[in-house]
Amino acid sequence: MASSSGNDDDLTIPRAAINKMIKETLPNVRVANDARELVVNCCTEFIHLISSEANDICNKSEKKTISPEHVINALESLGFASYITEVKDVLQECKTVALKRRKASSRLENLGIPEEELLRQQQELFAKARQQQAELAQQEWLQMQQAAQQAQMAAASATAAQQAGSSQDEDEEDDI
Amino acid sequence: MKMSHNSSGKDDQASGSKKPISLPISRVRLIMKSSPDVSSINQDALFLTTKATELFVQHLALSSFNNGSGKETNTLSYSDLANTAQETDTFHFLTDILPKKILAQDYLNSLEQMQEEQGADY
Repeated sequence: MASSSGNDDDLTIPRAAINKMIKETLPNVRVANDARELVVNCCTEFIHLISSEANDICNKSEKKTISPEHVINALESLGFASYITEVKDVLQECKTVALKRRKASSRLENLGIPEEELLRQQQELFAKARQQQAELAQQEWLQMQQAAQQAQMAAASATAAQQAGSSQDEDEEDDI
Repeated sequence: MKMSHNSSGKDDQASGSKKPISLPISRVRLIMKSSPDVSSINQDALFLTTKATELFVQHLALSSFNNGSGKETNTLSYSDLANTAQETDTFHFLTDILPKKILAQDYLNSLEQMQEEQGADY
């Protein structure tokens, strides 16, 4: 999947994206590896086909930029007219999504809170977060210390018990 | 109840992952620009091309599978694709990138011919 090589002809759609689409289109069908590779290359070929045709149409229209209209006409003249309805629908949807996103961000801007106040709030939140972090870290440190202490004590009494056992005579029950 | 169809992605909810377009648009743009003479492309035109490419993949895969010999074994092979490209008008442009199938006999014949010309010098 070399995308850093200089050769333009190596540009293809990522294999994973194609595999996913094939899987969704033909669920439960086994697809040979060389077939998948072929589909990847067919995609590139298709894009070139549409681009060239759309470009020709664009040049004839004396416009400089390939427009949606050019692409649709290209699809039609190349025999892919059956795609047109669906691609138009998707275009509409993309526009709607983009519009919603723009509205959402402008709504934020129009909350009426001046920037300094927003900054202040942000600093406050950061400070709070830092404090919480510090408290958490301290708790963990204390827990670790306690655990270490307990381990020490346990080790100490174990050694003591061992010593007491090996001296045999006295039965020292002063220890735990 | 909502009926969500597979790839058209009419579902705008945040919980669903049905995006309208699944192929990477930036990559499609790069490929388009590597076509000779293509200068600038309108963003909407790019969306259209990307979606058309998706439909193309589905179309090619389905046609090849349905026309192909793999329906009993439930497989899609290289030759299924190659055959569909040969036989379907709209997919004819693909024959450029499909290596021509050489019959074994033809290959042997041309090999013999080459050897004769070179005086059987191998």
